[in-house]
Amino acid sequence: MPDMRIEAVVNGRKIARSAQPHQRLLDFLRDELQLTGSKDGCGAGECGACSVFVDGVLMKSCMMPVGKAQGASIETVEGLAQKGDLSVLQKAFHKTGASQCGYCIPGMVMAATAALRANPFADREEIKERLGGNICRCTGYQKIFDAVELARDVQNGRLPATALAEADVSEGKFIGANVRRIDAPSKVSGALRYAGDMTMPHMLHMQVLRSPHAHALIESIDTSEAEAMEGVEGVITCADVPGEDGFGVFVHDQPVMARGKVRYVGEAVAAVAAEDLVTARRALAKIKVAYKPLSAVFDPFEAMKSGAPVIHDYAPDNVTKHIPIRKGDVEKGFAQSDLVVEQDYETQAIEHAYLEPEAGLGYVDHDGVVTIVSPSQNITHHRHMLAKIIAKPISKVRFIMSPVGGGFGGKEDMIYQGMLALMAMKTRRPVRLVFTREESIATTAKRHPSRTTLRMGLTRDGRIQAVAFKMVCDGGAYGLSTEGVMRKAAILGAGPYNIPNLQMDTYGVYTNNTPSGAFRSFGALQTQFATESHLDICAERLGLDPFEIRRINAMRDGAQTHTKQTLKSVSYLRVLEAAEKASRWEKGAPTSRGDSRSDLGGEGVRASCSLGARFSADVTREAAE
Amino acid sequence: MLLCDAYLTPKSLDEAFDLIEAHRGRYRLVAGATDLLPWAREGRAGDVHIPVLIDIATIPQLRERTVSEKGVRLGAATPIQRFLDDAALGRAMPAMPRCAVWFADDQLREAATIGGNVVNASPAADGVPPLAAHDAVVELASRKHGRIETRRVPIGDFIIGPGKTALTEDEILVAIECAALQGYGGSFEKVGHRRSLVISTVCLAALVKLDDDGRRFDDVRLCLGGIGPVPDRLRDVEQFLKAGPVDADRLARAAEMPVSLVRSRTRQDYRRDVVRGFMLRGLVNAARRAGAEPDLFSAELEAACA
Repeated sequence: MPDMRIEAVVNGRKIARSAQPHQRLLDFLRDELQLTGSKDGCGAGECGACSVFVDGVLMKSCMMPVGKAQGASIETVEGLAQKGDLSVLQKAFHKTGASQCGYCIPGMVMAATAALRANPFADREEIKERLGGNICRCTGYQKIFDAVELARDVQNGRLPATALAEADVSEGKFIGANVRRIDAPSKVSGALRYAGDMTMPHMLHMQVLRSPHAHALIESIDTSEAEAMEGVEGVITCADVPGEDGFGVFVHDQPVMARGKVRYVGEAVAAVAAEDLVTARRALAKIKVAYKPLSAVFDPFEAMKSGAPVIHDYAPDNVTKHIPIRKGDVEKGFAQSDLVVEQDYETQAIEHAYLEPEAGLGYVDHDGVVTIVSPSQNITHHRHMLAKIIAKPISKVRFIMSPVGGGFGGKEDMIYQGMLALMAMKTRRPVRLVFTREESIATTAKRHPSRTTLRMGLTRDGRIQAVAFKMVCDGGAYGLSTEGVMRKAAILGAGPYNIPNLQMDTYGVYTNNTPSGAFRSFGALQTQFATESHLDICAERLGLDPFEIRRINAMRDGAQTHTKQTLKSVSYLRVLEAAEKASRWEKGAPTSRGDSRSDLGGEGVRASCSLGARFSADVTREAAE
Repeated sequence: MLLCDAYLTPKSLDEAFDLIEAHRGRYRLVAGATDLLPWAREGRAGDVHIPVLIDIATIPQLRERTVSEKGVRLGAATPIQRFLDDAALGRAMPAMPRCAVWFADDQLREAATIGGNVVNASPAADGVPPLAAHDAVVELASRKHGRIETRRVPIGDFIIGPGKTALTEDEILVAIECAALQGYGGSFEKVGHRRSLVISTVCLAALVKLDDDGRRFDDVRLCLGGIGPVPDRLRDVEQFLKAGPVDADRLARAAEMPVSLVRSRTRQDYRRDVVRGFMLRGLVNAARRAGAEPDLFSAELEAACA
């Protein structure tokens, strides 16, 4: 079947291009017209990074076969800024700091434009509702809603156009001032190119074959059929690694592609580069891998038992890292206590869910420098690791950090850059890899799931006498940042409290689950959840106010931590005070509450989710008419 | 990834049947495509190759809609968003705008069609319970020996199981017809994992008409979705509610009646709690919108249902 010919008007210009019948409008805009302001964040209609106007109606272009756009008039984010001048909404996004990583912002600007076109007087609730199809991971939305309200008021003349201008920042006083982000115009206009938006002449498209098994030996990999396919320019496996294969943040335990065995579902086994994406995907299906399944272990406590399946030969007990810290004598401390409370706490794996799925471009430049462009959060470390893997001097390895469309720690690991390098070296052509959303969720690091047993002894006056804290984390199949997360957890886990007798043990354990890695707060979240929940329980048992029990034990200026660090200044008491005030806390033990509570409702407390703001807007409008 | 060799957009029903006959056994019909595209991805169907996609959404007959005192006729390719922006349609189908606002988001509602929602026959489909409450009838067209024939099937008989309908091979759902219920109060209660863009865990469509005093139900139509393989029209509850004056006791007893119908594969206890709450909230909201006397419900009940 021949390609289709699509005739349409795009941003006011007539276009006529051939398209493949399976393409979505999003593919057509990005690949054929190079309009990469519209992003592919999920490919499933969930995120709205691809929102465009089709005949004046906002649509998700990832949910629209290109055939539906035949003869249509399409407006993309690139069409909003006429003659290079940002639209009022774009200026408002710039003014309020509504763009952070920026990946969702073109779609968000489009949705906001649609909202104000539908109702130029929309209130905040209606704006929220009309932006409901667009997800932002960075901002928490408030600055985005602020921007839409600001644009609305400027458009309606309720605010002067100068409200969009940069506020004066007096010399040296930047904290607390509205300082505009210098990269915002490129984000609100869709001009900024992320790795997945970049192309190079003669570029190949790479796809990765991934393990369907959690734990299995690889008996053979037969790539011959894939390699023989027309349009396939290269197939790589671990056999293509010329140097010392292994990466990781602390221990280099992960091969670029599975070597000898696979350790989790989704682990890279082989990769194909082809002239186009469809050929690359078809070629993956032609690679034959013979697996011999091994018994797998999915629970860290099971993995620590003797006789459990061993995941890495170097760690026969499956322990990636154990961090023990001791201070004083906990048994003595418990003996001095009036109350000893023991409780278990559990947290789950969490996906970072940045809007930009992993993507990268690899090429070998004219001087033979292997170059990787990707949103890596750790390019210097990656560069050193890659040099060893491909057996080249460091001067022949270059990493370029592309704009990061959200990272939150999830882009610290070199999980695909090695494959790009090997493929570029093998094919001598530029190679691009763009993860699907599903691939990103299934194969990249998660926040460590944890189980903590916390034992705390206190005297009747609320003073902590002893803490025994043991946390076991599921590190998944590879080390990645596990060691660092365990260290941070052991250092920060007991909280900003003076604890005379303390025993901290944190364990990162190998399992056949998706690897765990860096995630904002690096082990503090899991441990603080346990420690702070525990203090509330102890306050209840002692009949103390939860703020009070914290004040009693709080570190003050000059305190020494259990890792022997002296803290010159400790802001904790000020933080407590601010939190107590902002939450309108009613003093007393948690058990002392009556039927009525003054801390519910009011400023700072949001109502539960509802929909239908536009119905009340309709009623208001009808009444006005 | 969805792959196809041809994407065809017939401009009439006859042309659509020409294409169906030419590509029999190797085609699939498409309307909004909002279900098809996410289906053809990793974790669900994966890469799917369908030789021919026939997009019927632009056939004029399938886009037409007529709304009168007597009834409503909706072309199958009517986008869900029309229930929100066509005021006359909203008045004739008072639960539908409330359903539509919870249905995906503004953008997908412009693509997604009411006919597509019906033929998918998902147990969690949002659009079906309000249609069932309207006693809607679907019109199905096929072409035999060169002549287009139609048959009409009540929606309750059309949807026979999860993903299963009475649609026969090479048949097209062309329209949906139902009574116009002006003057009824409508509500649609829904819970899902996110405010926008999720299908229902449980949903309830309620349509009520009050007597002149605003104290008795002249008519009540209730349909629950998400609790079993197909939507459940609650005829016995409707009879019970019409049998006497509206008071707290009758509402409470009515709310309890469908709880035993929950037979979903997962989270039954949760769904039972939701059903109980939704029955009260759905009835109170619908009655209020039907012009109930302000004192009909206690302030406590009103607040709980806000």
